[in-house]
Formats: sequence, structure tokens, C-alpha cells
Amino acid sequence: MNFDYAQLFSAAIPETVVVITAFLALLVDFIFLRNLPARTRTSLLATVTAVGCLSAIAWMGVSHSTYRLDDAIFVVNPMTQLVKQIILALTIFTAFISVQTNFTRHLGEYFILLLLASAGMMFLVSAENILAIFLALELLSLSLYVLTAFNKQSVFSAEAALKYFLFGGMSAAFTLFGLSLIYGVTGEMNLTAIAAKLAGKTTDPLFYVALVMTVIGFGFKVAAAPFHMWAPDAYQGSPTPVTSFIAAGSKVASFFILAKILFTGFAGAEGDAGWHHYISGWTPVLAILAALSVIIGNLAAISQKSVKRLLAYSAIAHGGYALLGILTADQKGFASLIYYVTTYALTVIGAFGVVAVVENYGGDKLSDFAGLSRRAPILSACMMVFMLSLAGIPPLAGFFGKFYVFTSAIQLGAKSLGLLWLVILAIAMSAVSLYYYLQVLKQIYVVDASDKTTVSVALPTQFVIVALAIAVVVLGCVPNLLVGKILAALSLG
Amino acid sequence: MSWITKNLWLIPILPLLAAALISVCKQPRRRTAATLAIGSMVFSFLLSCCAFATTLHSEHGGFREVANFDWFSFGTTTLRLGWVLDPLTACMLVMVTFVGTLIFIYSIGYMAHDENFTRFFCFLALFAAAMLGILIANNLLLLFISWELVGLASYLLIGFWFHKPSAAAAAKKAFITTRIGDIGFFIGILWLYSSTGTLLFYDNGAGCLESSALTKLVTETTFAGMAVSTAIAILIFCGAIGKSGQVPLHVWLPDAMEGPTPVSALIHAATMVAAGVFLVARVYPLMEVTAPGLPSVSTALQVVTWIGAITAVFAALIAVAQNDIKRILAYSTVSQLGFMMMGLGMGGVAVGMFHLITHAFFKSLLFLGAGSIIHGCHEEQDIRHMGGLKKYMPLTFATYAIGMMALSGVPFFFSGFWSKDEILHSAFTWQVSKIPFYLAAFGALLTAFYMTRQICYAFFGSYRGHKHPHESPRVMTVPLVLLAIGAIVLGVFGTPAWPAFETYLSGHDAEFDVAKLLRGETLSVMLISICIVAVGIFAAWQLYGRKPVKTADQPDPLEAVNGNVYRWLANRLYIDEFYDATVIRLNAAFAYSADLLDRVLWGGAVRAASLVTLAFAHINRTIDDLFINFGFDESCHNIRRSSGFLSKLQDGQIQNYLRGIGVALATLVLFLIWGCR
Repeated sequence: MNFDYAQLFSAAIPETVVVITAFLALLVDFIFLRNLPARTRTSLLATVTAVGCLSAIAWMGVSHSTYRLDDAIFVVNPMTQLVKQIILALTIFTAFISVQTNFTRHLGEYFILLLLASAGMMFLVSAENILAIFLALELLSLSLYVLTAFNKQSVFSAEAALKYFLFGGMSAAFTLFGLSLIYGVTGEMNLTAIAAKLAGKTTDPLFYVALVMTVIGFGFKVAAAPFHMWAPDAYQGSPTPVTSFIAAGSKVASFFILAKILFTGFAGAEGDAGWHHYISGWTPVLAILAALSVIIGNLAAISQKSVKRLLAYSAIAHGGYALLGILTADQKGFASLIYYVTTYALTVIGAFGVVAVVENYGGDKLSDFAGLSRRAPILSACMMVFMLSLAGIPPLAGFFGKFYVFTSAIQLGAKSLGLLWLVILAIAMSAVSLYYYLQVLKQIYVVDASDKTTVSVALPTQFVIVALAIAVVVLGCVPNLLVGKILAALSLG
Repeated sequence: MSWITKNLWLIPILPLLAAALISVCKQPRRRTAATLAIGSMVFSFLLSCCAFATTLHSEHGGFREVANFDWFSFGTTTLRLGWVLDPLTACMLVMVTFVGTLIFIYSIGYMAHDENFTRFFCFLALFAAAMLGILIANNLLLLFISWELVGLASYLLIGFWFHKPSAAAAAKKAFITTRIGDIGFFIGILWLYSSTGTLLFYDNGAGCLESSALTKLVTETTFAGMAVSTAIAILIFCGAIGKSGQVPLHVWLPDAMEGPTPVSALIHAATMVAAGVFLVARVYPLMEVTAPGLPSVSTALQVVTWIGAITAVFAALIAVAQNDIKRILAYSTVSQLGFMMMGLGMGGVAVGMFHLITHAFFKSLLFLGAGSIIHGCHEEQDIRHMGGLKKYMPLTFATYAIGMMALSGVPFFFSGFWSKDEILHSAFTWQVSKIPFYLAAFGALLTAFYMTRQICYAFFGSYRGHKHPHESPRVMTVPLVLLAIGAIVLGVFGTPAWPAFETYLSGHDAEFDVAKLLRGETLSVMLISICIVAVGIFAAWQLYGRKPVKTADQPDPLEAVNGNVYRWLANRLYIDEFYDATVIRLNAAFAYSADLLDRVLWGGAVRAASLVTLAFAHINRTIDDLFINFGFDESCHNIRRSSGFLSKLQDGQIQNYLRGIGVALATLVLFLIWGCR
């Protein structure tokens, strides 16, 4: 087999740039920054990261070539480029939020892992071959396990990393098993060919086993119930910037690849999750995952005392909403999914950014947020925007995301309204969710502070949080800024 | 299209803009208000003069330019509005803006002491704008809109001193009475629209006053064999009856004298009442059209003629026995409007319009003169309390006398003589009946009589009032002089020898020909007219002039001649009482029964419904408290409990987590396999 490495290189220039940036960050840190104060070091390294990521983004903005390498190992089209740009933007935000915290002295290593994880996500997005998918997935996961354990002073960080690793390893094993079963059934690696071979075999029990096993691995990545159990522990234990990275960037990439596998690889095996016309396939499985996620995520969040844990359950619930977008199995649902996860990622990075700031003055418990509006008014206002957006209050981005996902789910069975049961459940549960988001805001705005000291925020972090809040408002008011881009990329790709 | 036609809309818009600006002025900004109003009128006057000058040059039979535009579309229909410039519009524009400007200027003096000076000028400007809108409209709907705006403005102006109950009542009366006529007018508009599909007057052959539409209208017949055109024309004429105070809707006009005198002059002399006459002249093609083969005068024009003739005599009779100086003039106006209608009905547009124009000048002269007298005599309006004013107010007397002679039709030097002569002449030659001619002649006699009576009462003899009278300020007398000049000069354009006005309206060139004056028919009518005036003035002078009344409470000399007749006339032939006893009482009774029905039947039903609703509300609240609230609280509690349960599932034991994966895998696979049985 002739493999054209020159073509691979030209197709993977953005990934290359990110990897080079990763090593550059390490180098710069080792050679120049060792003796500077931690905050300055982080700021400078975050700047290096930002420059690298921005040049990759810019390259993708300029170059419009599309590639499809042998056996779909690496695919480049407008849609993948858009998602990669989103992921890199999220990486930049995460890097600047890291400025606020001081959980480690090994900053060079931290940033190289962050960037390698990003590169893993980018490869994941571009892969349409099950082998490449698995490799990229592992690159991403392994980076994240290490990042989770990065706070060496904290025993919780280590515990969380271990749980995350064990759970992730188990899921990865299932996924690999599932993928190998699929290879066994079809004898093919690339998704389009798999779909072609699968035609007519979709009632094979072996296929069902393979399907469920494959879904487990990605269910784990997107923290969909019942594969969510690692999430609360890992979210709580990890350093906050890492949490935000797991919740934001990793989720966008995982949802994208999950949708791609299901849409492309298992095309023809959709089945039907409608209320009265159930047909086995992957939509019923996802419908069950979505329903469970929405219920468990929202209900369990109510009784949480830790804001990070609360946001972890909220992330599970939001994963459930996003699965609704996949359930429609069409372009419109896909566009709604990308819009949803992107806006969710922006919101959640902002929220964890605020948590990272507050953590410095105590902890991440709800009571630590008491009276924040007097201590840091701008930060509190941003937190209000994030919380209300997560709750889905118009005119914020979260509202439009939910609206878009729900309407595309309803329009799917325009004749039968088959998914109506799920949409109704999701809406009812988002009403419940308002309760715990408002709990956070109540602490911030109503309850009096025990600690009256003014909260000081690192300038880059403050800037990023405000920018994210503005983005959430603007994308809510003018959703077409993003939706238009997604639809344009879809129609081109 | 000439630039003036393109910009004709500016003429009404300028005063409208002025009105809008004045309405936001603060009360003390008198100078601003007056400047805005008068300035806008002067500009409109100048534009009108341009328009007039443009219409003078016509090459072939009548100048007419229209500018139409789409207003809005509904479905496939488009409503089009527009304006028209033709001689009829142009001469009316000049007259209204000229007289209007003078009245505006005069108002500065007359209203100087009124605290609502700015409001007054706002209404005046609004009124002028609406009136000018009527004149330029090329669409019956646009005309109707302006027509109703005129009605509104006159309501506001008549009721300007609304704290006087009589003024408020008069305003209401004017509004409601004219509205009765407008109902007919509006039905006519709707009928015309449904028959022809357009309300544009002129639209390059497709307008409703152009031959194709008229031919269609005249051939269709409705009930009793009447042509549709006749029915529509009469309905539209209803509007004119209301606005122009024709019998039987004349009752509002004398009462409207409760408004400030400039208003009386503006509304009841020059403009508003003329609107009805103008309307008839505007839709004249519709009025005069008859089915081919019937050469007689159209039914609609006969109706116009008879109504006009009856009004002319009827109002003149009442005027003879009134004592309020403005009321006399008001009835005189009603009577003169009757003359105009007769002129339109028998002689055509030119005859009626000529009298309208001359009358506008001398009647506003008389009204403003009356205002000057009232102002000089300290708000006294009763002529019995005046007398001998000749001495105190020489300028007012001179101009008033000119107005009186013009109105009475004193020969040769006064415009009224020539315009009235035209009407009498056309009545004399009318084919249908001679009776209108006799009525008109009698009306003219009465006119001369009551005007002489008024002059004798007010200016001759000795002063019978209490406070010392004085001449009015310059700002009031100058307009009087200007109007007096107009009252004399205008007659030149309508003599039989040089019928400039008539040829102007019809679009021919006038030729000067003295011989026409001496033609037998013309001459005889002229002689009759002179005799009538002489008799009228002489009789009044015999009764009032030779032995002037000495005291205010002395009975009227006419009463001494025949008390019964005088009492009837003085009480306005009991028309208002007749209306009170019939129409108004009927209306009141109907209103009372409707009110009773409303209270007992509908009110009862509403109360019952509200009781039922209240009962339901009580039940509802009980259910709400007992079940819904309780249920909600309970379910919230359950949600919290389930939350606790779910977070306990997360026990931190990784073995259990991994077991979860296994269970989930097995369950899901079994589920799928079970599902595809």
C-alpha cells in the first residue's frame, strides 16, 4: 500500500502546528521561565499556547483544501475544520483560566499535555477510520488522565485520576472490543465501507453487542448515564482548569465523533425510538441514554453542596440534551448538536473560570459563593449569565441551543411526533434544573458574605470570563452567527 | 406636469405642519404661534397664486392636471389617492388662503386677551389645512377625510370657549347635525366605489367623473326607475346639505355663532359652509349627467335647486326678526348658500361659484365688521343695545356699509349685484319651473330689507348701550379695508358684458362686449333686480331709518305692523322646537329604553355570570389549596428525596461503577435483541 506522507503532512498542518507549539511551550518554560513568579509564567505560557492555536485557527480559516487520505484515516473538510477551530478556541480559553490557579509548579508539562490533548481531539475529529478513531481517542484520554492527576498536593486529585483512569480504561476496552467485532462482521475499517457492508445485517445479535460496546466508550467520554459515574468524582477532584477542559473541549470532540460514527458508520441501523413504533437500532439506545442522563443529572444535582460537583451533574444532564440532537439522525439535528455543545462549552468554561477564582478564597462549596456580588460584582454578573444560560433562559445562548435541539427532535417525526415523549421529559427536567442553578445565584446575590475581602482576579482570566459572558449573550441574541457557519460548512462538506 | 401640480400638496401641508408645531408650543409663546400660523398661510397663499397663474394659460378647453399615487394595496386592489389642479381648485385656493390670511391677522387683535391664544391658532391652522385638503383632493375618499377633519376643527373652534355651556352645546350640535348629512355622503361614496371601482375624480379616462364611468352609472337603474347616478348624486348632496346649512339641516349654523367671531367669519362665511357648494361643483359632472334621449335637467340638479330656493327664502325670513348681530349674519349666510345652490342647480358651476367667491369676501367683511363692533361695544351682540355707532367707529361703518350694499345687491359698483344677477337670470330662463325665480326674487327683497334694518339699528340713531364704544385697533381694521376692496372689485369679473370668471372656469377666452348688457332678457332681469333692492331698502328705511328706536326695550317697529308674524320669525319658525319635540325626544326615548334594557337585561346577565364565576373561583381555590398545592409540595419533596437517593448511588467505589458498565451493557443488548423479535 502506497501511503502519501506529503499529503498527510499538508492535510495535518494545523495538528502539526499545535504539536510544535506544545514542545515549544515546554522548551520555553525550561529555558527561560524557571525563575519567574508562577503567575507570570502561566501567563506567558498561555500566551504561547494562544499564539500557536491562533495560527492553526488562522491557517484553517485561510486554507480551503479538502483531503481524504487512504481508507479515511484522515479526512479534512469544512465541517472538521470548523469543529477544530472551535476546539482550539476552547483550548485558548482554558489556558487563560489556568492563570488564576496555582496547583502545580510543573507548568511546562501542564501546557504540553493540554496541547497534546487538543491535538488528540483534532485527530479524533478528522478520523473516519475505526483504528484512527481509537488511536486519537487514546491520545486524548491518556493526556486527560494525567492532567486530572496534576495537582500533586491534593489526594482528591490523585483519587479522581485513578477512578477516571480505571473507568476510562474499562470503557476503552469495551470500545476496542466493539470495534473489533465490527471489523469482524464487516471486514472494513473505514466508516462508509462499514455502513455499506452492514446493510442487511442489522438484526444480527452480534452487531447489537458490537453497537452497544462501541457506544459505551463514547458514552463514557460524553458522560452519558449510566456511564457517567466517573464524572462527579473526576470533575470535583481535578484542578479546575482541567475540569473545564474535560467538560468543554473534550465533549465537543467526543460528540462530534460519536455523531459521525453513528451517522456514517451505522447508517441504516438507526431503528426508531418513537413511542409506538419501536425498532431496534442505535436510536433507541441513545434515547435511553438521553432519558437517563437528563433524569439522573438534573435530580442528583439538586442535593450537591460542591459547585464543581453540581456542574458535573449538570454536565451529565446537558449531555442528555445534546444526545437529542443526534437522535434525529439528519443534518439539521447535527447542526443543532454542534451549536448546542459549542455554546455549552463556552458557558461551562466561563462557569469553571469563576469557580477557579472563588476556589482561591476557600473552596468550591456553595457557601463559599455567599455574597460574591459584593466582593466581585463583574464576576458575579458573568456567573449569572452563565447560570441562566445553562438553565436555558432567553435570550442567552443556552436557550437557543435547547430550543434548536428540541425543535429538531420534534420535527423528526413530524407525522408521528415519535420523540415527543423524550422532548417533554427533557423540558420538564430543565424546569427542575432551574432550581439548582438559582441556588448558586441565590448564594451569590442574596446571602450575606462571611468573608468580606475583595476578590482579586488575574487580568487575563477576568478578560476571558467577561469575553465568554459577552459571547454567550451575543450568540443567544444572534444565533445565526454560529448556526450560519455550521450550516454553510455542512452544505459544503 | 408643471411643478406646481407636483407640489400642490404643500398648500395644505404647510398649515398642517404649523398646527402640529403650535400644538407643542407652550401656552405663553403667542408670538411663535401666530407667526407660524400666519406664515404658513402666507406661503400657501403665494403657492395658490402660482397655481392660479398656471391655470390661466390654457390652450385647449380647460386646464386640468392630476397627480395620483398608490396609497396602499389589499389583495389585488390598490387604493389610489391624488390631487388635481384645475380652475375650480385654483380660484378656491386663492380665495380661501387670501381670506384665511386676513382672518388670521385679524385674530391677533381679536384674541389678544384670551389666555388660550396658542390653542386658537393651532385650531385655525388645522382648519385651514383640512379645508385646503378638500380643495385639492382628486379622490372622493381623500376629500371625505379632509371633510371630516374640517368638521372636527369646526367643532373645536365653535366650542373654543367650552366653559360656556351654550358654546359647548353649539359645538356638539354642529358636529352631530353635519354628521347626519355625512352619513348620506358616506353611503354615496361606498355606492360609487362599488359601482365604478374607483374614487379618483380624474384618472386619464378611468376616473369616476369621466365619461366611461358616468355612462355606466347613468344607464343602470335602481329602485323606482331612478338612475344610479341620480341616487349617488343625491346622497353626496346630503353631505353638502349638512355642511352648507341647507334646510332641513340648517339649525346648527346660527348656534355656531357662539364661537369667537373670527371663527364665525372663517367657518360661516368664507370656507366651511362653502365646502358643500364646492362639493356640488366638484362632482358636477355626476350631478348633471342624464340618460341620452332625455334632454331635460337632471333630477339631482332639480333637487339641488329646490332645496336651495327654499333655504334662500326660509333663512331670509328668519333673519328679518333677529336681534343678535351675528345671528342675523348667520341666517343671511344660510340664505345666500341657498342662492349658491340655486345658481349651481340652474346656471351651472360658474354661476354658483361666482356667487360663492363674491359672497366669501363680503360676508367675511361683514362678520369681521360685526366682530369689530362687538369688540368696540364691549362684547355686546344685541343690536338693540347699539345705535349711533357711525360717529364712534367711522372706519368700521364705512366698510360695513360696503359689505351691506354688496350683500343686498345694490347695483353696479358692488360684486354682490352681479353675482346675484347671474343667479336671477339663470332662474328666469330655467326650463323646468318659474317658481324658483319668484322665490329668489323674494329672497333678494328680504335680504335688502334685513340688512338695512341691521345698519339702521347699529349705526344710526343714538347710542343705547352702557359703556362707551370705541374704534377697533389697526390690526382689525386693515383686513376690513382689504376685504372691502375685494367686495367691490370682484364684481368686474362676472358682468354679462365680460364674463371672465365663467370663461375661466370653462377654459375659453373672455370677450368684452357691452352689447350683451343691453340684450332684452338680460336687461329686464337686471331692472327687476334693481327694483327689488330699491323696494327692500326703502321699506326698511321707512320702518327703521326715519324714526330710529330710542330705547333698547322698545318693541320692534315690525312687531307693531304684525305681531304674530314677527313672533314666528323671531322664534325661527319654531324649527328647533320642532326638532326638540320630534327627533330629539324620539332619540331620548329610544336611548332611555336602550339604557333600561342594558341595565336590567344585560346587566343582570353579566351579574349572574359574575356570580357563577365567583362561585367557581371559590371551589377552584379550595381544590387548589387542598390538592394542587399539596400535591406540588409533595412532588417537590419527592424530587429532593430522589436526588438524595441518586447521589448516594455515587458511593465512590470504583468497583461498583465498573459493575454498572457491565450491567448496562447486558441490559442494553438484551433490550435490543428483545426489541427485534
